[in-house]
Amino acid sequence: MDLFLNLVASGLVIGSIYGIIAIAFAVIFKTTGVLNFAQGEVMMLVAYVSWSLGTELSLSFPVLVIVSIGVAALIGIIVERLFIRPMIGQPIFAIVMVTIGLAVMLRSLIVIFWGADAEPFNAAIEGGLVEIGPVVLFTEQLFAIILFFAIMTAVFLFFRFTRIGIAMRATAMDETAALLMGVDVRRISALAWAIAAVVSGLAGITFAIMFSRAPDLWFQGLRAFPATILGGLDSPLGSGFGGLIIGVIGDLSEGYIGQGLKEISGFIVIIIVLMVRPYGLFGEKELERV
Amino acid sequence: MLTLTNVQIMYDRAIEAVRDVSLTVDGGRIVALLGSNGAGKSTLLKAISNVLYPEEGEVLHGEIALDGRNLLTMSADAIVASGIVQVPEGRRLFPLMTVEENLTMGGFLKSRGDVSADLDRVYAMFPRLKERRNSTAGYLSGGEQQMAAIGRALLARPKLLMLDEPSLGLAPQIIDQIFETIVALNRDEEMSILLVEQNASLALQIAHYGYIVENGRVVLDGPAERIAGNEDVKEFYLGFSEAGARKNYREVKHYKRRKRWLS
Repeated sequence: MDLFLNLVASGLVIGSIYGIIAIAFAVIFKTTGVLNFAQGEVMMLVAYVSWSLGTELSLSFPVLVIVSIGVAALIGIIVERLFIRPMIGQPIFAIVMVTIGLAVMLRSLIVIFWGADAEPFNAAIEGGLVEIGPVVLFTEQLFAIILFFAIMTAVFLFFRFTRIGIAMRATAMDETAALLMGVDVRRISALAWAIAAVVSGLAGITFAIMFSRAPDLWFQGLRAFPATILGGLDSPLGSGFGGLIIGVIGDLSEGYIGQGLKEISGFIVIIIVLMVRPYGLFGEKELERV
Repeated sequence: MLTLTNVQIMYDRAIEAVRDVSLTVDGGRIVALLGSNGAGKSTLLKAISNVLYPEEGEVLHGEIALDGRNLLTMSADAIVASGIVQVPEGRRLFPLMTVEENLTMGGFLKSRGDVSADLDRVYAMFPRLKERRNSTAGYLSGGEQQMAAIGRALLARPKLLMLDEPSLGLAPQIIDQIFETIVALNRDEEMSILLVEQNASLALQIAHYGYIVENGRVVLDGPAERIAGNEDVKEFYLGFSEAGARKNYREVKHYKRRKRWLS
């Protein structure tokens, strides 16, 4: 039982990271229809910049988080402006190819700038162990879970109640109709990229604190991908929960069945789920009125 | 207030949808834009709202101006802010959002206070919408959707309201209600209306002035009564035919008149 609970807990921790990255995927896909294959790399870039800020300026953790949010939003806006805005009106597939190119480019740029070595991310939260019943977690692991639920709540409130959030949903449903309501659709796209960069960047920072700041951080983006598919590409909240599910199943299968299953269990789950619900667990089925 | 001068619109730089159209909507008037399918009516409305570009459409020649301000260089949101609001063809509600969220979107550029005041106003105008305010818009009936679409446009506080075939696919009773609303908006709030319709007799009943568009050109314009009295309009649009006496020649005559009409 203790093993089970600890596996679930560690699954929730990594699942929270996947979930947050998956939210970022879904926010961009939902509002612009683009699957951003460079999300993991954007996340890594934010984590690296944040690491440098943390080490050079020795900021306290809360200040570092706030500064990183600003930096991430800026990175998102710049990337959208340079690589996505010029592609507006081109086929979606072409835009997706651009994000793949962007991914490779960012990976190399990061190695050129910061080198290929891993470094510990020390500007961290006060270290230590937290015991919850039989479950033992590091503070930063608990932080990952709290961050996940905080971001989920924020995303829910944003899309449900703020005017700009509702406008983003409207743009996703019918771009021309949104234009006719006076929504500046280009700003919506920039905003989606900024939100995704902030959200995934926070996941990247947390992951780097838990492990290290290393040039293979982008791989977490790929790991989070099944979570988005599972939860529904057009559902940020669903994608978030998809992350938790993939994380927990990954750790449980590794713990009970065997080494190496962690990597593939997520993909096995999505294949099975997609056979039953092709639009994901929480995705929106095209609404048809007869 | 709104003037179009010699407007030419092409799709994809290949298909000419509108050729050399000039029209005017004077303040406080209802102007009907009539014509059959594919005549270019909706294209004109999209050009006025500057939302042609997602469909690769482009205004190549001519001018579109509101009180002297060139609309062609303004973005879609600036045009909405200037007071030109469109109820698009087929309603185009946001299907997965509630009625109230849809209405709120209409007031995207307005202040919070304006939005809540206008929501009450729209609910008073269409009590049915108030009952269904929390329903998913995609599940409303056609008539309710049209009310919601008009309500949504009203939240943008239009000076000029453009409606693209508001009668499409609706029951006669609902159509009457929608048209009464249009007349009331024009009469009580002095809102200018540009009404695109295929149902010519209905539109000419409420309009002050009418334009008939065919193959991307204005073929006839004038005060609504004069248009409704025109023999050709009667036959081709209002469904009065000269059945009876000269049956044998009818086809030939129809063809000739049609030809003259189009040239």
